[in-house]
Amino acid sequence: MTAEATSESNGRPGLKGKIDKTIIASVLLHVLVFGWMMLSFSTKAYVMPDEDVVAVDVVSADQLSKAMAGTKTGDKKNPKPLVEKVAEAKPPVEDAVGKITEKPPVVTDTTPPPQPKPIEKPVEKKPDPPKPVAEAKPKEEPKPVEKKPETPDPIAEAIKKEEKKPPKPVTEAAKPPPQPPKPKAERTFDQTKIAALLDKRDPSRAPVTGDTINSNAALGTAKGSAADNSATWGAMFRQQVERCWKKPYGGIESQNPEAAFSIRLKRDGTLEAMPVPDGTPATPYLKVYQESALRAIIECQPYNLPAAYFEEWKFFAPVFTERRG
Amino acid sequence: MTDKDLSPQMPFRLNRRQLVSGMASIGLLAGAVLRPAAAQKRIPIPEGDFAPVPIAIPNFAAGTPSDGDVGAGVTQVITNNLRRSGLFAPIDQAAYLEKAVNFDAVPQFNNWKTINAQALVTGRMTRQPDGRLKAEFRLWDVATGQPLAGQQYFTQPENWRRISHIISDQIYERMTGEKGYFDSRVVFVDETGSKERRVKRLALMDQDGANVRYLTRGSDLVLTPRFSPSTQEITYMEFGQGDPRVYLLNIETGQREIVGNFPGMTFSPRFSPDGQRVIMSLQQGGNSNLFAMDLRSKSTTRLTDTPAIDTSPSYSPDGSRICFESDRGGKPQIYVMGASGGQAQRISFGEGNYSTPVWSPRGDYIAFTKQGGGQFSIGIIKPDGSGERILTSGFHNEGPTFAPNGRVLMFFRDPGGNGGPSLFSVDISGRFEQRVPTPGFASDPAWSPLLS
Repeated sequence: MTAEATSESNGRPGLKGKIDKTIIASVLLHVLVFGWMMLSFSTKAYVMPDEDVVAVDVVSADQLSKAMAGTKTGDKKNPKPLVEKVAEAKPPVEDAVGKITEKPPVVTDTTPPPQPKPIEKPVEKKPDPPKPVAEAKPKEEPKPVEKKPETPDPIAEAIKKEEKKPPKPVTEAAKPPPQPPKPKAERTFDQTKIAALLDKRDPSRAPVTGDTINSNAALGTAKGSAADNSATWGAMFRQQVERCWKKPYGGIESQNPEAAFSIRLKRDGTLEAMPVPDGTPATPYLKVYQESALRAIIECQPYNLPAAYFEEWKFFAPVFTERRG
Repeated sequence: MTDKDLSPQMPFRLNRRQLVSGMASIGLLAGAVLRPAAAQKRIPIPEGDFAPVPIAIPNFAAGTPSDGDVGAGVTQVITNNLRRSGLFAPIDQAAYLEKAVNFDAVPQFNNWKTINAQALVTGRMTRQPDGRLKAEFRLWDVATGQPLAGQQYFTQPENWRRISHIISDQIYERMTGEKGYFDSRVVFVDETGSKERRVKRLALMDQDGANVRYLTRGSDLVLTPRFSPSTQEITYMEFGQGDPRVYLLNIETGQREIVGNFPGMTFSPRFSPDGQRVIMSLQQGGNSNLFAMDLRSKSTTRLTDTPAIDTSPSYSPDGSRICFESDRGGKPQIYVMGASGGQAQRISFGEGNYSTPVWSPRGDYIAFTKQGGGQFSIGIIKPDGSGERILTSGFHNEGPTFAPNGRVLMFFRDPGGNGGPSLFSVDISGRFEQRVPTPGFASDPAWSPLLS
């Protein structure tokens, strides 16, 4: 790389000299940038995912983590009130809906209830008990599409039922609704007709169903795993198992050993079964290394880990290693 | 760099580079970010420190009522070996919940888990009707309840110590993944008497200091004894009448012969790995050079021919190269050369004088004595000259020799004054330095290969 400034009038050789400098500088910059990227990404690979900040709701840890996991196809917007699960073809519900749809539907947003009574009556039967209609999930503020003083009972029952049920994954019911009752538009509230508007059917005890899935699903984090608390209980496990681990003497040469296991723990922190080693060791030292780690896992039980995160630490993979990330 | 470089060709070149680099960076990004979601969470455990394995060795059971003593003796030797290696922490027998273990039954592992043992050794000694001694042992993994090793031996009763060493080696190998070194012997120079009238005799002992016997009477000064790979012969130097000479001594028969008939003094002999040759330095005039002699044909080969002092040669374990000490560069340094002579390469470059190089039986290190700054140090270095590390320093350390597994070194230390030298051993990591018990003062140790 020559430092002399050759003028452009020299033609090709001069240009070449200038090009060399610039290209070299460009390459250097690229190398610097990529080198930094390689380093920063390689360390990132070993960093625990950031714990997302979560609004405080009274929910179970499972429900929360599943919500945070998200789906890749999730929409960012929620244009209309949606439910957790699409209505399934259930005979009682269908019958109920069928009964109603036998009569000509008269519902519109703005029309007042039709005057002729005989027509009203079938219409009254139709009223949308909040069940087949879109209703917010119990964990959110219950927002029934219509407010009916008498219907809270079925609603409450449905809510209770919903809470007792194991929460279904959000993506599960991504099926087109078989027989959704269309009307969920608001109805004008006629106080005089409260009695007539009472839902005379039995509570259907069906899960809250509706038109489309409530895709509160967000895109989630890039790593695609649920935000979890492994930083906490992982550190506790590590500290406890290291008390028992008599790491074998590897000599003065660095051998970069690694021994991974799958373990299942019970709630009291004891092993449910023998830890399963991952892979067969290739050298006598690696075999001894793996055996010493196995001994440590077995000897140091029961592990004192936070009960709140049991679902996370009941099945995980401790990796005993010398390898530095 | 000017701003006005607007050659029509430049954007093209840069674009291509940029394109390639950009694609590479995209690849890097993709590789780094798109990690597959693991089936379960991986928790790294990186902070383990080396710690000796807690091991329980209850007394070997007595197969017949008269075997109690030998059972206790075997247990003691094994426990001692494992403890001195530094890699095991034998648990005091006083802490055992179960003192007498039934050798034939599967042990009650809970009794051993309670005292935090990770390994358990059980055994039995039984005198046979034909007079032989049967020794059995089993090594158990306390956590998993699995048997790790087990063996049965028949031997003459007087060899009970060797059986203990052999069992120790089995335990050591199974738990560390390394070859053992307990079933071996050490030849050294035993020194007695006052400093002015020191009597030096060749002595032979087990590596743990037991079974000492003297090989020479002490009338003449003896130096640098070395084992033959076949372990039945020792070569050493003796100052008899006239010039010091290199001798061969058969341990079993006691026969002695002179190695070669050279005019001049011969020093620091060592065997070749196949036991067929002895290499030594021969001093003629003011300098000394290396010679190798074939023991069968008695033919000798000159290996170096310099005006310098070349001495203390040692073969590599495959016999292809030798390392030796030479002051051809001014001060004593370590050189490596082909076994049949030729170009020699210096490998030591630190501050100080390097002497007494010896090649490890594993071939991965050369140990040496280093003198500098008033200190004598024992160190190791790789045959290519890299990885030098000092294991111990003081006044006055000298003469390292490797254990058969290349993991432990023995050397001697002379504190000066009116006392005398003693033998010490140290691990090649610099740990577990300890004194080796000898009846009197001792120097110049040499470690035999494994006897079995």
